[in-house]
Parts: sequence; C-alpha cells; structure tokens
Amino acid sequence: MNEYADAAGLVARSAAAYAESIPAEPADDGLFGPASVAWRMSGDLSSPVAGLRALLIQALHPLAMAGVDQHSGWRADPVGRLAATSAYLATITFGERGAAERAASRVRRIHQRVTGVDPFTGGDYAASDPQLLLWVHAALIDSNIVARELFGTPLQDADADSYIEEMVVAAELVGVPAVMVPASRASLAQYLDAARPQLACSPAARESMGYLLDPPGLDEDLADIWQDIREAAIVSLPEWARELYGYRAPVLTPARRNEIRQALGVLDAVFLGEPGVLEARQRIILRMRAAVRA
Amino acid sequence: MRGLWRALLALVAGTAATVVGLVLVRRRIGRLRFERGLAAAQLAVRGGLRYAGSAPRLFAAAGESRERLRNDLAMQTADDVTATLGTMKGVMVKLGQMASYVDDGLAPSVRRTLGRLQDSVPPMSPELAAGMIEAELGGPPDRIFERWDPEPIAAASIGQVHRAITADGLAVAVKVQYPGIAEMMAADLDNVSLLRRMLRVTAPSQDVDGLIDELRERVLEELDYRKEAVNQQRLHGYFAGHPTISVPAIVAELSTRRVVTSELVTGARFADIASWSQAERDLAGETLYRFVFRSLYEVHAFNGDPHPGNYLFHGGGKVTFLDFGMVKHFTPIDLLPLMQMARNLCVDDDPGRFRASLEEAGFLVPGAPLSDAEVADHLAVFYQLIRRSESVTVTSDYASAVVRRFFDVRSPVAQYARIPRSYVILQRINLGLFALLGEMKATANWRAIAEEIWPFMQAPPSTPMGRDELPWLASRPALAAELTQAQ
Repeated sequence: MNEYADAAGLVARSAAAYAESIPAEPADDGLFGPASVAWRMSGDLSSPVAGLRALLIQALHPLAMAGVDQHSGWRADPVGRLAATSAYLATITFGERGAAERAASRVRRIHQRVTGVDPFTGGDYAASDPQLLLWVHAALIDSNIVARELFGTPLQDADADSYIEEMVVAAELVGVPAVMVPASRASLAQYLDAARPQLACSPAARESMGYLLDPPGLDEDLADIWQDIREAAIVSLPEWARELYGYRAPVLTPARRNEIRQALGVLDAVFLGEPGVLEARQRIILRMRAAVRA
Repeated sequence: MRGLWRALLALVAGTAATVVGLVLVRRRIGRLRFERGLAAAQLAVRGGLRYAGSAPRLFAAAGESRERLRNDLAMQTADDVTATLGTMKGVMVKLGQMASYVDDGLAPSVRRTLGRLQDSVPPMSPELAAGMIEAELGGPPDRIFERWDPEPIAAASIGQVHRAITADGLAVAVKVQYPGIAEMMAADLDNVSLLRRMLRVTAPSQDVDGLIDELRERVLEELDYRKEAVNQQRLHGYFAGHPTISVPAIVAELSTRRVVTSELVTGARFADIASWSQAERDLAGETLYRFVFRSLYEVHAFNGDPHPGNYLFHGGGKVTFLDFGMVKHFTPIDLLPLMQMARNLCVDDDPGRFRASLEEAGFLVPGAPLSDAEVADHLAVFYQLIRRSESVTVTSDYASAVVRRFFDVRSPVAQYARIPRSYVILQRINLGLFALLGEMKATANWRAIAEEIWPFMQAPPSTPMGRDELPWLASRPALAAELTQAQ
C-alpha cells in the first residue's frame, strides 16, 4: 500500500493556481475567445462535482489508470497534482494562445516518458497514446456537461453541441488527431458507449478513488462539504460506472439536491474568498462583456 | 475555510462560543473608521462603503477608470443577480453583515471569505435599477421623480441607494432591491437542511430549529421593504418632537415591497465624530442610549442592526437613525423579565430574585447546581454601567469584556445558560451598542438615565437632555401597564 499525503490546503492551492492562470492583459483571446461556450462553462458551481466525476470515469480505463498510478507521484502531493490540473485547464481556456501551447507541450513532453505495463491487464501503455488521451478528454467533457445539468446551470442543447465541438482543440493540443475526437453530443455518447468493453475497475483505480472520495486531512468544513461532492459525483455517474465500482446508486431527492447545491454555493463563496480569485473572475467577465458589445 | 460552518451560525445565534475566542471589538471599529473616512457618499447606509473603501482591486483604480470598471462589472440582468447572490451567497452576505461588529472574533479566513463575498457584489447597472423602479412604482425613474441620480450613492445589503428629488421637491433616498433576490434568499431559507446540519455542530445545546426559524423570520422580513417602511414610520412618529432623536420620514406613496423612499438626511458619520470634542461625543452617546432603551421599553421594538453606518450625527447630541430593516418587535410580556432582571440586580440587589427572573425567562436552566451569587457574578458584567448611580465611562475594554463574557463557554455558568428564541436578536445591544459607546469613550450616569426610562420608575430628568425631553414626554402615549409594574 502506498503512502498518501494529506489533502490540506486543497481550496487555497487550487484557487492560487486558478487565479494565476487568468491573464491580466492578454495579447490575444486564446484558443476559444470570450464569446465561446467554453468560457461560459467555466466557474459553474458544479465544477467540483464535474472534476470528481471525471476522475472516477477516467480511472476506469485500466491503461490510463496504470499510467497515473505508476508515474505521476500524485500520492506524495495529491493537492499539488489537482491544482496543477486546474491550472492547466484554466490556462488552455483563458490563457493566450502561446501560454496554452506552452502548457500543452509541457504535458506532451511529460507524457513521452510515461510508458509501461499495466499489472492488471498485462497490456502495454503509453501516456501519449491518442486512444488513452481521448478517453481522458471525453470523460472530462461529458462530466462538465452532466454535472452542470444535475447541480449547476444546465446548458441549452445547442450550447452543449457547440461546447463539445469547441473542445476538440483541447484534445488536439495534447496529441489526439482531430478526426478521432467527438464533436457533438451524439458522437460523444457513441464514443463513450463503444469504449465500455475496455473498462474495468483495477485495484489501482479502486485504491486511488477510495482516497479521492474520502481524502484525509481536509479542513473540517471542507471535509463536511466533500461528503456532498462525493455523493453528487456518484449520483451523476452512468449506471455502468457505478456498477464497475460497486457503488450503490444514492437516491437524489429534490431536498437532497438542494442541500448539495447549497453546499456547492458555500464552497464557491469560500473559493471566491481566496486571494486573486475575485479579480480573476472579474477579468473574465469584463472580457466577455466587451466581446458581447463588439 | 476552517470554522466557516460554525462561524456562520454563531453569527446568527450569537452562540459563537465554539469558534470565537478573544473578541476585540475595538480593532474592528478602528478599521471601520478608516474605511468610512474614504467615503464620498453623504448618506450612511449599511455597507455603504462597499464601492469605495473595501472594494476589490479592480475598483481601486483611480477616478474615471474606477467608475468605468464599476459600471462594466455592474449587474445588468436578473441572471447576473442570480449568479452573484444565488445558492446561499445572498444568505451568506446577510450573515456577514449581521456579524460585522463581532467579526474580530471570527477566524481570519472566515472574515476574509465574508468580506470578499461582499466585495463581489457590484452595483446594478442604471438600466437594471431603473427597471426595478418601473416595475415597482409604475413608471421610469425620470417620470416618477423630478430628478433621479442614476449612479447609486451607496450599497445596501440586498440593494442599493439612489438620490432623487420628488415631484413635490423633497430630497429623498431611494433604496432599490436587486431583482429576484428576495425569492432566491427565501428559497434558500426554506431549504434548511444544510443550515440545520451546520447548526447541530455549532450549537448542540440550543434549540436548533428555533434559531433557524428566528433567522429566517428576521431575514425574510428584511426582504420586504414594506415592513421596514412601517417600522421606520412608526419610530419616526414616536420620536417626532424629540430634542435629539430623529428618524427620517417615509414617503409612503413611493414605497413598495422592493423600493423604499425616505427623506434624504445628511450628517457626520460615526468615523467623523472621532475628531469631535469629548463633550460632543458624550452627548451623542447619551442619545444612542436613550434611543435604544426608549425604543425597547416604550415602542417594544429593537433595531437588530446597530451598525455604525446607521447613524448620522449633527452635533449637540442630535442623531438621525437610519435603516430599520431588521426590527424585532416584542410584547410587553416578553420585555417584563428583562426589566425585572435589571430591577432585581441593580435596584434591589437581590441575586435570588434575579436568578428566579432569569429562569422564568428561560435564560437559565432551572435547578442548575450553582449558587445565586455565582449566577449574578457571571452576568454582572452586562449590568456594569447601571449597577450604581454614578458617572461611568464606557471603554473599548469594557465592550470587549462584554463580548468575551457573552462567548465564554468555560465558566461553570455557561453550560446552563440559554438564549430563548425571542431574545436572540436582543443580544446585539450588548454586542453592538456597547461597542459603539466604548469606541466613543462616552461618559454618563447611565444608571440615572436608565431610571428615567425604566417604565417602573420613570424618574425625573437627570441630565440637560432629559430636561429637554420633557415637552416630548408629555405629548406621547401612555406606556404599557405591564411594564410599569415590574417587580
């Protein structure tokens, strides 16, 4: 059994990573631009649920999980790893093109070194394998839409299609050929269905997700809210994913959904209280409004 | 975010014992003074400095560019209001305000969260505010008013204040509520499972559902500006003709559920009187004291929001009182035990009867294994100003001691102490009024003034201000018979 570091400072470090990734005076509008759905998608109350759901689904691909398990060293600094992922997503969404490309090339470089044999399936894996990268991408995009649907501000159908299409660029950035990437809700659903036979809950997935669902060392308030996020993420999983993990489907009564939404609202307020977050959000709002006016 | 749950509920319940350590009210007011000094606005309302003093960095740009940024960030639609204040954020902003004068007792991270949350609320755009006026008053502002200033002069907790001149030529302050905010906050307060969960941890020995009910009632009342208008007009009427207390009149025909219009009054802010002479500050302190206890014992109403921003000072002890959104009404029966407690301890010096009154009112669990003297000693600090008829200077140290005792869980008495629901808001006398008087270093024979006001005594005037009150006293209605007979 590996030793894990505790999860203290999760909010503060994620917030700092986020705030630093939103440029003050950008030279260009980045990969998506302030009129995009991608910009509107960001900052929804449901984001923590989307993030946890994405990790739960991503981990069900044994080869993807093996790469993380054997290489990333996230156990030593799980909070740092999560913060780095938030920073990456904020940078490719809101950063200048150059910053997005630099961040992506760093990720590609790291992926080059991540190869090995998965002890669970016996299969070879390489983190730069477009198939694995696509799985990670699709799970995230799907989770952003589903979590929002259940706990945040739902997207219009047309916006969901536009969002999936816009995000093809993000998959390309890490090395997935555009032709492979689903660009609509229908093709995303098709892709996720087709991937099912490869999925399994490996021991590495079970152990890592066990940690994420109940991380030690959270501040007591955050630990309390984490229960809500965990339940929300499990509720939001597709039935097949819950079955693979052996989670029972919690019943989501309207009252419980409300309570979870309120907890997410309180968490968002706490996030907003971290240095630089309010200013970062204001920078985004100002640019989105300027884009509407133009 | 450590302690956020607990702190939030502590604010409401006033039972912050588990999180609030040493409370230094003095420092808090010191900071307020600094912020208020930056104010350009003449009209004081709650949170009135939000746009200037403590605004986020973007707002801190100078002059024109600040104005531009502020307008660019303004809430333009009801959806913007939802995004800014929906899903508990409005409730948290409100709780933060209720806590503003004890917040040195909060963990720094909690204080920061609540402060930043307030900063995160930009004003409504002129168009959105005008839309509210049109929806509420039946026409656009420039038709309803002779003149309308589209720039808000101050932020209120759930709205903002505009200056205007009515068709009759009266200068008024118009408080305009954010669209949809009342419905959102009501929905959040109707779904109390999260609040209940938070409270159970915070105040396990208290009546959790009772506290939530009290909080919900007070906040929901504040969302309906008609209640505020009624409260304010009632106090305006009661104090009409008073030599030093004044409450601006409501303009009823321009007031609705979401808009409230009252006379515009200008005056010095709490921060400004720091530079006044001590004699002036003493007079202002005397007026504050008379206002709080005359409202309580004579109108049976207590303004639960004794925020420094809610007073305007005019010199000679004259004070204008603003903002009656959170007024708690009592019945004479509710108030009787309070008066009896004061009488038992301060007039009769009878700890046994004092204790019986406490138990009767529900402040103390009956039959607690404590001596009468222990009980009296524990609570004596709250009565320190009025134990003896002598001149007493209220200090910040005294105010801090009151707050510390209030939040003291370690004393043997604390575990048997309770705050019955109807008195929750009343604790703000101790936490708010004494903090202000302490900051002013106000000196008076508070006991002699209290004797003038206590309905069971109605002693003759003890100060020049008391003598000046005589014509006003002669013209006001009779006091509740129950209270004149407190034993």
